Amino acid sequence: MTYTGHRVDSAWLEPDEHADLDLLVNGRSVRVQVPARCTLADALRERGLTGTRLGCEQGSCGACTILLDGLPVRSCLTLAVQAEGCELETAEQAPPSRELGALRRAFHEHRALQCGFCTSGFLMLAAGLLRDEPDAGAARVREVLSANLCRCTGGVPILRAVLAAQRELNGGHA
Amino acid sequence: MTHGYIGAGVERDDRHFLDGTAQYVADVSREGQLHARIVRSPVAHARIVAIDVAEALAQPGVVTVITAADLPDVRIPIRLPMAETPDTHKFLQPPLARGVVRYVGEPVAVVVAADPYLAEDAAELVDLDLDELDVVTDITSAASTGTPLVQPEAGTNLVATVPLTFGDVDAAFARADIVLRDRLRVHRHTAVPMETRGLLAEVDQGTGVLTLWGAAKVKHFTRQALSGMLGIDPERIRVVENHVGGGFGVRGEPYPEDYLIAFLALRLGRPVKWIEDRAEHFVATNHAREQEHDFEVAATADGRLLAFRDRAWCDQGAYVRSQGILPALLPAQHLPGPYRWEAFALEVHGVLTHRTPVGTYRGPGMTEATFVRERMLNRLAHELRLDPAELRRRNLIEPAQLPWNFAPTPITYESGDFPAGLDRLLDHAGYAELRRQRDERRARGEHVGIGLAAYTEIGGIGPFEEATIVPRPDGGFVAHVGVGSLGQGVETVLAQIAADKLGVAMQDITIDHHDTDQLAHGFGSFASRATTLAGNALALAAEDLRSRAADKLGVPSADVELGGGRATAPSGRSVPLSDLGEGWGRFDKPHPSFSFGAVLSLVSIDAGTGQVRVLRHLVLHDVGRAVNPVLLRRQLTGAAAQGIGAALLEELLYDEYGQPLSTLLSDYRIPTVEELPDIEVIVEERPTPANPLGIKGGGESGMVGTPAAIANAVADALGPASGARVWRLPLTPGRVRELLRST
Amino acid sequence: MKPPPFAYRRPSSVQEALTLAAQAGEDAKFIAGGQSLMPLLALRMSRPSHLIDINRLPGLDELRQSGAGLRVGALVRHATLERDARLTGPWRALREAAALIGHHPIRLRGTFGGSAAHADPSAELPVVAVAMDATFVVRSTAGEREIPASDFFAGPLMTVLDPAELLVEARFPAPPPRTRSAFEEFGPRAGDFAFASTAVTLSTRDDGTVQQARIALGGVDAVPVRAYEAEQALEGEPLTDATVREAAGRAAAGCAPSGDAHASATYRRQLIATLVERALSRLKEER
Ligand SMILES: Cc1cc2nc3c(=O)[nH]c(=O)nc-3n(C[C@H](O)[C@H](O)[C@H](O)COP(=O)(O)OP(=O)(O)OC[C@H]3O[C@@H](n4cnc5c(N)ncnc54)[C@H](O)[C@@H]3O)c2cc1C
Ligand code: FES
Ligand code: FES
Repeated sequence: MTYTGHRVDSAWLEPDEHADLDLLVNGRSVRVQVPARCTLADALRERGLTGTRLGCEQGSCGACTILLDGLPVRSCLTLAVQAEGCELETAEQAPPSRELGALRRAFHEHRALQCGFCTSGFLMLAAGLLRDEPDAGAARVREVLSANLCRCTGGVPILRAVLAAQRELNGGHA
Repeated sequence: MTHGYIGAGVERDDRHFLDGTAQYVADVSREGQLHARIVRSPVAHARIVAIDVAEALAQPGVVTVITAADLPDVRIPIRLPMAETPDTHKFLQPPLARGVVRYVGEPVAVVVAADPYLAEDAAELVDLDLDELDVVTDITSAASTGTPLVQPEAGTNLVATVPLTFGDVDAAFARADIVLRDRLRVHRHTAVPMETRGLLAEVDQGTGVLTLWGAAKVKHFTRQALSGMLGIDPERIRVVENHVGGGFGVRGEPYPEDYLIAFLALRLGRPVKWIEDRAEHFVATNHAREQEHDFEVAATADGRLLAFRDRAWCDQGAYVRSQGILPALLPAQHLPGPYRWEAFALEVHGVLTHRTPVGTYRGPGMTEATFVRERMLNRLAHELRLDPAELRRRNLIEPAQLPWNFAPTPITYESGDFPAGLDRLLDHAGYAELRRQRDERRARGEHVGIGLAAYTEIGGIGPFEEATIVPRPDGGFVAHVGVGSLGQGVETVLAQIAADKLGVAMQDITIDHHDTDQLAHGFGSFASRATTLAGNALALAAEDLRSRAADKLGVPSADVELGGGRATAPSGRSVPLSDLGEGWGRFDKPHPSFSFGAVLSLVSIDAGTGQVRVLRHLVLHDVGRAVNPVLLRRQLTGAAAQGIGAALLEELLYDEYGQPLSTLLSDYRIPTVEELPDIEVIVEERPTPANPLGIKGGGESGMVGTPAAIANAVADALGPASGARVWRLPLTPGRVRELLRST
Repeated sequence: MKPPPFAYRRPSSVQEALTLAAQAGEDAKFIAGGQSLMPLLALRMSRPSHLIDINRLPGLDELRQSGAGLRVGALVRHATLERDARLTGPWRALREAAALIGHHPIRLRGTFGGSAAHADPSAELPVVAVAMDATFVVRSTAGEREIPASDFFAGPLMTVLDPAELLVEARFPAPPPRTRSAFEEFGPRAGDFAFASTAVTLSTRDDGTVQQARIALGGVDAVPVRAYEAEQALEGEPLTDATVREAAGRAAAGCAPSGDAHASATYRRQLIATLVERALSRLKEER
């Protein structure tokens, strides 16, 4: 049985039911049909938005980080039904936000990736940070980046890339 | 004409990673696919009394549930002849436990359902009736009499003993002025790539061909192993590689799941997908490294190393997996290291315990052996009142002594300049000044230490690789190789070699490593071999193509120009490339090569919490020849970061019942950017004569000396009394705090 | 690692949430930031029949400071506490603690109420609530009750809340004049749950002697505990290296941590000595 998402405001979405949700992803409407327990990460991935990666599904790795109303969240720790009516941004965003565009360039130039599995999550984490706190100092950036795990690069190249993107966004001086 | 790509820091195309479109196996979907969930043993050792699948089968969306009773009695085979003994077949793992479970996480049943949520629901309802048995978890006593047998049919928990001797050890010890002996222990830890494993299998109903996505690293062997176990022709199996979220040795070996998912796709006639979850990963994917050594070193009063003896016990876990006895063999081959020993005698035992099976993780065996030897050398330096760098310098094999052979052992060093390497590392670090600063900070009451380690690393393991280069109608070339890409950028490096050797632009080269259909043989990516083996095979294939053109044109092959879809002679005469057929090359490498490296680490300890901070970390490695210095540096950096994690944080803990205690990323602590320094990499290039390109490899090198150097630095920071008690890893804050207390 | 099935609903008033909770029975759960509950669901360590999403309840996300003290709504996110520049002096420990919870994205979602109700023995905010003598205000269809923080925590991941009771806010009483506070913790990596932690608040008299000391410890027992003997060692005394060390020593000696594979009991006790000393030294220096 299926019903539309907003009904969860007035009736139970039962365990065996699916909600018909309209998610706003990268400025486009994406319809998903999911049970209450479906995570936002799984809902996006099922619709082919597989740039949101799953490395642990319990909040520890950050590979699934996306922006929800502009702020970085772990999409494995959010239910798809909770995201209705929110603005979502993922690694696939095209055209990219200012921050994402600058970060993509910087990640490429500073060789901030190897296997690339953590990259989407780091890009979104950093995009959220640079939008919300454009003047974050290097120590703050480093602290925020410790939220996500990368097994390939040793981390510092990613930090360097984010700081470079920040410089670009702030007009070359930050 | 070459474009000079070899040696250039050519950039890799990483767009797909930056816009989220790169496809890892979890991102591949096939029409009508089903999802598998593995039911795993919750206990370390038990007799399986009964498995009741009725309730699981009755769940919504469930298609089938299988147990060992549904499978033929097959075993996962060993991949490398060098890792097999006449006895190892007795210890191999069945894809599903047969009668007995032997480690927490051992596959017992598989549930297949319409989606992963439903599969997990049903898997919880598979009812296991288990009769628990005693467990073996201690490696040093595992092979003693009276210990429960992990595999009673084999009659022993001793998988193999690797003995190596060189020279007259007793005579050398008899001449010693000083002998030091201690136990040293390396803990269980492993690679933990950010992408877990995953597989998708589909059978083409028309052709009957089985396609498997998700197996990387050794895809030709995976195909061969599956062919044997499933009883189908290798030609009817295609193993396709996707993007891979890190391999580091553990991913892509044939595991029980590779067989199970392929078996299910064949049986059900529908695509079956399995994505390992992180908790499974920590019990199902190979563990590594756990071993204990009883090491004894003999030297003269003026700091000449004479000889060592070592007895070691290496954990193999509950079964021998596809890497056979490598967990015992590789430490043995790396214990001597880069020094001029007069003699040594070592005996390394591989033993079974009731824990997850052990395979190789980046820098296998060498990392452990380096820790053991280099810790003892530091103790020796202290006893002899010698600077640790000086002790090493006095004993490194000199370039004039190369090639060096510890005959009759297979350990041979072909080329390099070890003392120059060490000096360069010390120079780069500013060793004298660093020591002054350390002493100054110590005088202020801080705990600061410097640690050094030198090592050798095996690389370029054979037996061989093949490559073909096929001209494309559009004027470009496709090069097929049998090694895999595990996120290292090997495809870029191989394209550089192929382009230079053909004398064409890199854009004209496509490296195809994705598909077993395209090349008959291939041994895969492990042991820093991909560039050496496949690179040289490609160079030969390019030469083959050029000489075919030369024959047709009647000119020496050096004079042929390739391009624009034609091969052209200086005279202007040309033939279309499509007339040439394909270039083929095979590079045989009967003996592995060893390369040299050294690491220096500067650490501080917070005396209140025991926390170690790595302030500087320098890694030097002789890679022979750096085809792409940029990618290589990144590899070295990443490996060193993993080594820092191994030295300070990461540990796969078990309790005395064989229950794993680190099964989440929150308790298996891989370092974040807050725990990592800006790693300094020094690439030495001393080409080896052992292959035409001169490559020695470097994919693992940052790892090998890192735990040893950090342990030596921590010991230095602790001071002599406590420092001498640094005998095990990891140096977690709690352990270091404990050592501080004993000062 | 997929959550087990449950029913879901998103009420829009506190009253409605309470009614739903009362109807849905024992196995229903509220979900706030989801930063603790979702991992438990993924591991199937929690199997609620119903999830009641409280994120859209109005009025619970306010942080109000007045002469009577500080009120922290149950839906105040950790990041809000971390960034509120008003949280200085007596309230500083709250801000310092919030900044140390997990990681940035966790703090953007996780809530004060969730942290209190989840009752992880290593969590930061419960330790601060105990040190600051906070009172938790909880509501159900049966009415409202106030529970002192020191009575609220019943064990690891256990509180005295009934399943149908909603924590609506925490009230922190106004401290005596010249009160300052600090928070210290140690975990093995950035963002890890701490092995041990301490929240300290100190009020001093004109002459610099300590009028009132509150020292709470985390990670050393099933619930946050007060270090009474350490507090007594300070009260009536000036803050000196000697009194600081004495108090730190007593805090360590007086707690009875249990060890696990990641941190032994002895180690946790050593950490308490270090952390209490560091918090007090900071307060001493800043005077
Ligand atoms: C990677 C990671 C690291 C973390 N590190 C830390 C850390 O270092 N320190 C730390 O303290 N926490 C840490 N957390 C947990 C985080 O702080 C959580 O935000 C917090 O513990 C729970 O808040 P929440 O709003 O997310 O609650 P939820 O997860 O939504 O709920 C948690 C529990 O509280 C109940 N609940 C929630 N709100 C109410 C209410 N108003 N009334 C009654 N019951 C309620 C729920 O029913 C549930 O049982 C970490 C989490 C992650 C994923
Ligand atoms: S997958 Fe969400 S944090 Fe790891
Ligand atoms: S690039 Fe591989 S995990 Fe970060």
